[in-house]
Amino acid sequence: MKNIYYFSKKEFLESWRTSRLLILMIIFLILGIMNPLIAILTPDIIQMSFGDSLPVNIPEPTSLDSWGQFYQNMTQMGLIVITLLFSGTMSGEVSKGTLINLVTKGLKRSTVVISKSIYLILQWSFCMLLAFFVTWAYTLYYFTDDNSPHVFLAVFPLWIFGILLITTILLTSTVSKNSYEGLLLTGGFVVLLFVMNIFDKFERYNPITLTSENINFLQGASNIGNYMPAMLISFFLSLLFIYLSIVILNKKKL
Amino acid sequence: MNIIEVKNVSKSFGSKQVLDGLHLGVPKGSIFGFVGGNGAGKTTTMKLILGLEETTKGDIFVGGEKVTFGNTKTNRITGYLPDVPEFYPYMSAEEYLTFCGEFTGLKKAERKQRIKETLTLVGLEGNKKRIKGFSRGMKQRLGIAQAMLNNPELLICDEPTSALDPEGRNEFLELLASLKGKMTILFSTHILGDVERICDYVGILDEGKLKVSSSIEALKQTYAKSQIELSFDEAADFSILIAELNALIEQEIITEVEKINEQNQVIISYNKDYTDVAGVLLESLIAKKIMPVSLRKMNPSLESIFLEVIR
Ligand SMILES: Nc1ncnc2c1ncn2[C@@H]1O[C@H](COP(=O)(O)OP(=O)(O)O)[C@@H](O)[C@H]1O
Ligand SMILES: [Mg+2]
Repeated sequence: MKNIYYFSKKEFLESWRTSRLLILMIIFLILGIMNPLIAILTPDIIQMSFGDSLPVNIPEPTSLDSWGQFYQNMTQMGLIVITLLFSGTMSGEVSKGTLINLVTKGLKRSTVVISKSIYLILQWSFCMLLAFFVTWAYTLYYFTDDNSPHVFLAVFPLWIFGILLITTILLTSTVSKNSYEGLLLTGGFVVLLFVMNIFDKFERYNPITLTSENINFLQGASNIGNYMPAMLISFFLSLLFIYLSIVILNKKKL
Repeated sequence: MNIIEVKNVSKSFGSKQVLDGLHLGVPKGSIFGFVGGNGAGKTTTMKLILGLEETTKGDIFVGGEKVTFGNTKTNRITGYLPDVPEFYPYMSAEEYLTFCGEFTGLKKAERKQRIKETLTLVGLEGNKKRIKGFSRGMKQRLGIAQAMLNNPELLICDEPTSALDPEGRNEFLELLASLKGKMTILFSTHILGDVERICDYVGILDEGKLKVSSSIEALKQTYAKSQIELSFDEAADFSILIAELNALIEQEIITEVEKINEQNQVIISYNKDYTDVAGVLLESLIAKKIMPVSLRKMNPSLESIFLEVIR
């Protein structure tokens, strides 16, 4: 148990000293600030580009537009940046041989997998909350409407999906030789989720729903209970991926 | 008792067979020199012992427990210095050792003490640089430090001296010798002088098998050639000498004489007891008043034994 703490600490140091953590913090901070700003500025930008020739009236932006930006940017930027930066987290250690000194002293390989997942989940939670609270604060400041009552409830599914993505990154980087292979496999998994989303029947079970329905959760238009199956499946898939990573690493040539 | 038992182990990479029914026993507490030419399979054997490679056939036991490929419990008692050790480049030497000390369960006070001692021992004390900027030799030193940090029962070093300068090599051999009694050491090398200096056991790996495995003393006795080297000065009359020696061959006291002209030396082979042979030899030389400037009982070098074994 203690070793999980020590190895997670090493992961933190690695992320910090290789500047990855800093990059993430800056990006998520910028995302947080941008979300409400874009929401405010979008009508003006449209107005400017089309002038008075625009036949319809552009509605005033609300807090929903700001949160809309948040969910769009978190999935289209935030999660992608995390995937790019950490898709070689295990394959890098294996190909460089940095685990050899450690396992030959008796460090359990399962400790490596569990520590990496814990660190990556903590890092994701921190970055997500950073962007979340910044967005929230600015949204409260700029928009006085009460269209977005369920902010926490809406962001929770996104958090769960992020954890699933992180354990996917961990598994794919454990089976692959380098970060490109890992990236490709993670991408393949996400595409698979999107493809399965075509079938309406699966929607409640498909983890990808957790990133697409957030605005409905936010307004209370959609009952989060409906998406419990998707959350449970994500949770169990995450556990399964961590378990598979351990099994595979246990028999891997380092 | 043997801390390592390799029993009838074979290992192939694809169609290439590297080890072929290898038997290897390393006695507890010994310094075991593992000798073999490039590509003989030394690194492969060590990786098998550490569970880093999978045996094609056969079993390996470390400390009485069976080694399993991959995550193996036997690694609790080992420390390993790979041929090219790899570290986290963003850490300093001290940070790296702290990390190693943490997960091997050294308590904080003891850890600090050990790290200080070990860094001094390998000559990296006070070095605050990140490992990124280390030379090959410095990495080798840090490799040694991490391998012995937590006083493992079994220390395995893969060609530890090959990346070091002569001074560093010397220091390292002394360091290993000083660990005798504290841990069992298995180290591979192709430098026989290193083995001769510090090891008490030697194993010679060739063609996938251990051609020789014994104590250095026993090995030298087995391969000891019964030979005496006599040197003379320029004035000596070699024709009388050779006639005298030929007479000794007739009497079956010695078996063979080889004359080395340029150095005024003869090498005499015999198969009887050294004291008797040398006594008779000296008496007959005194009788003819041919006095040697030196008489030496020839000891075989490990080098010559090695060449003979793998011939
Ligand atoms: N992973 C591997 N794949 C294929 N061949 C290998 C591998 N590792 C070692 N070998 C081959 O096994 C032989 C023994 O290698 P090695 O154990 O490194 O020898 P040594 O350490 O004695 O120099 C060499 O011929 C080498 O090419
Ligand atoms: Mg080798």
